[in-house]
Amino acid sequence: MSTPRISPHSLPDLKSTTDDALTNYLLSLNFTPIHTKLDTRLALGYTSVIIAAITFAADYKLGWEATKTWTAVAVVAYGALNAALTYWMWAVEKGVVFEGQREGVKISLASSTKKHTPVYYLAVTVTDAAETVSKPVVKRLEAPFTSFFTADGFFVAKPFQQWLAGSVKSIGNVDVKNAVREAVVGAEGDVNGLGVAEADEGESSGVASGKASKRGKRKG
Amino acid sequence: MFGAVANLQPRQLAAQVLNFALVLSTAFMLWKGLSVFTDSSSPIVVVLSGSMEPAFERGDLLFLWNRASETQVGEVVVYNVRGKDIPIVHRVVRRFGGGGDSPLQLLTKGDNNAADDTELYARGQSYLDRETDVIGSVVGYIPFVGYVTILLSEYPWLKTAMLVFMALTVVLQRE
Repeated sequence: MSTPRISPHSLPDLKSTTDDALTNYLLSLNFTPIHTKLDTRLALGYTSVIIAAITFAADYKLGWEATKTWTAVAVVAYGALNAALTYWMWAVEKGVVFEGQREGVKISLASSTKKHTPVYYLAVTVTDAAETVSKPVVKRLEAPFTSFFTADGFFVAKPFQQWLAGSVKSIGNVDVKNAVREAVVGAEGDVNGLGVAEADEGESSGVASGKASKRGKRKG
Repeated sequence: MFGAVANLQPRQLAAQVLNFALVLSTAFMLWKGLSVFTDSSSPIVVVLSGSMEPAFERGDLLFLWNRASETQVGEVVVYNVRGKDIPIVHRVVRRFGGGGDSPLQLLTKGDNNAADDTELYARGQSYLDRETDVIGSVVGYIPFVGYVTILLSEYPWLKTAMLVFMALTVVLQRE
């Protein structure tokens, strides 16, 4: 899975690259994506865009006087749809990146960043239909971008996947190879991977920054 | 896996295109909303000529209001000449009719012009009809900021450059 090089100083780039990788990772684990949230957003958005387009065409062809009343109606409708869209993105989607299902377990991941803080915040909501009371369990994770980006802006999938598989049980259950804890318990698997796993975020970021200083010296 | 990715890709593309479309449509609908609110086909105009100096100069941005239909002498109105689509900003110097059945008619003149506007009106027209010709009365202005649009209309390539730049920022930036 090769990702293009990005600027490691651009927080939006770091976030969107990680979001994409997150989606690809979960798809590769055979989670069936659930698109209802994005689809609702697209429906609301495109409906309002179509209303605006029709208003524009009518205004262009018939002029202001003839379309006055309908323009007023269209403006109100557009405003209402846009308010609904804003509410949807702010209160329902909340930055959701991936929603998917696998064997009765529904997982929803919403990512966010804070200004000037190079940390990837992830809210993981897991709903297990198998449990008697299937209540969604929310877990908040965070990892510095340095733990899965090289200093020159390449995404490295392995530590990222180990971080997720190690911290989210329902991912770890599927991706046993990357789930460090499971691997230790099972006495088999990639023990060498431990160093970069979730438990040692500090160390792995140290590796990345070490590269950075080397590169800096070379250039300077 | 590629099937799943291909399944996802169109949605992301659609979301990206939507961001751009929403910027354009929101700008347009805000403009239309202002039109509805002021009851004017063009609620904000830019002064293009010096015919109203010293009251208004080239590049002044004017805000119009078209819900007060009892236009008085001394008010500055923006009107369209029949058959031409160039709005003109001039002052009302005389009014006829208005009471009862006869429609309100106006004669206008630029403060900086020697003669009234009868020459400017369409052929055979010697006054303005308040209802059909006038776009609105000036209720506020910001000096000079409208010069941007004068530049844009005088150097059309600037318009293209600006549109391309806006489109690129919206499409390339993901946030």
